[in-house]
Amino acid sequence: MDIQVMKVGIVSCSGEELPEGTLSRLACRKVLTDLRPGETVIICLPLFIAGGEEERGFAKKYPTITVDGCDKMCAAKATEMLSGKPVKSLLVSDMLKKCDLPSPKHVRNLSGEEQEAAQAVAREIAQAVDEVLEND
Amino acid sequence: MAGKARKVVVLPCSGIGKVFGALARETAYELVERVRPGVAVTTCLPLLVIQDPEAKSLVTENPVIAIDGCPKDCARKSVELQGVKVARTYQAINFYKAHKDLKPEGISELDETGRTLAAIVAEELGEVVDKLAAEEES
Amino acid sequence: MGEFLEATHDKFIFKVKTGCLYSKEDLWVRIDDGTATVGVTDFLQKSQGDVTFLDIIESGTMVKRGQELGKIETIKAIFDIISPVSGIIVEVNPEMDANSYLINQDPYGAGWICKIELSDWEGDRKELLQDSDYFEIMREKIAKEAK
Repeated sequence: MDIQVMKVGIVSCSGEELPEGTLSRLACRKVLTDLRPGETVIICLPLFIAGGEEERGFAKKYPTITVDGCDKMCAAKATEMLSGKPVKSLLVSDMLKKCDLPSPKHVRNLSGEEQEAAQAVAREIAQAVDEVLEND
Repeated sequence: MAGKARKVVVLPCSGIGKVFGALARETAYELVERVRPGVAVTTCLPLLVIQDPEAKSLVTENPVIAIDGCPKDCARKSVELQGVKVARTYQAINFYKAHKDLKPEGISELDETGRTLAAIVAEELGEVVDKLAAEEES
Repeated sequence: MGEFLEATHDKFIFKVKTGCLYSKEDLWVRIDDGTATVGVTDFLQKSQGDVTFLDIIESGTMVKRGQELGKIETIKAIFDIISPVSGIIVEVNPEMDANSYLINQDPYGAGWICKIELSDWEGDRKELLQDSDYFEIMREKIAKEAK
């Protein structure tokens, strides 16, 4: 029994090892809490990987967008492996290039410039959410 | 017989839905960047799932400390799914329980209290890193 | 009927265990030979977050239905647990000190909170809800929070 409107699942790479991973995390949270609240659900990648029933169940039923910090594309590959192909697979470096912004340098305590980059990436992800919802 | 220092892999769960995921992540960064740089290292947890060879050999050849946010134990489980037993496992929720005066807040980014808690815990875990890193040649 | 009634919202699955009775304050009750085992529902534990500390009235204490049984502290809030029945607390779950997270992990099983020897079951049972009735109340709460 579902109490549900259409929402898009966002899977962020956890990217512990690189600044783009932290930026991805931050940007995805901004989409959830600020830019597209009520239209998105964050899927926790580690829980998804470890067998989280709710994360996998949601990803099977609803469209997902993955956001990766590097071209190893862990979020995209893990989502496809464990649930199904994401509707969109985004890469932080591509989004930064599009916005003409430099790569971040810090894995934590992001600078003002890096925070702005996270905001710009969040806007790109939000646009992707809109496209998915329009096509659904 | 000289001891050979190994790397110690610190893997946080980095759970994105709860403050304890952020606390686990920050604690790992404190260990890797400040408390035991050069000895404590980290890698991206999902790399193990996609069978990245470098990540796999890192956890196979070195002792692993899993820092999970909560008893769901995602980091520990992800490592064990690769056939590797973690050397030590911690839950960040217990870091707060042991330091009740430092209630962390913030999911995307830890607040100052959370960062203070992470720094204190990382100092405590530094000794664990030392113990795991020391290895006697037989 | 299966073991649980389930309602899904976003990625969350809220479960109501069949065969238990419920209070409007989101506690479940299971009766066995004059003793009630009491715990919090899946909805309550999911709404309030990871349990960090639990403070329950001592064994041997008399409680009345509607009275505070204790407090649960999560990372989000501290909230009161309201007793769904009247009687004497005969046991508090000994696992709670070290493993309060059991409330989140297994709210209807290992996460039970206390056992109460009933003193007014005839009065209490009239106030408790069947699983299906609580399920509807829960769905309303979920829908309200979703707005």
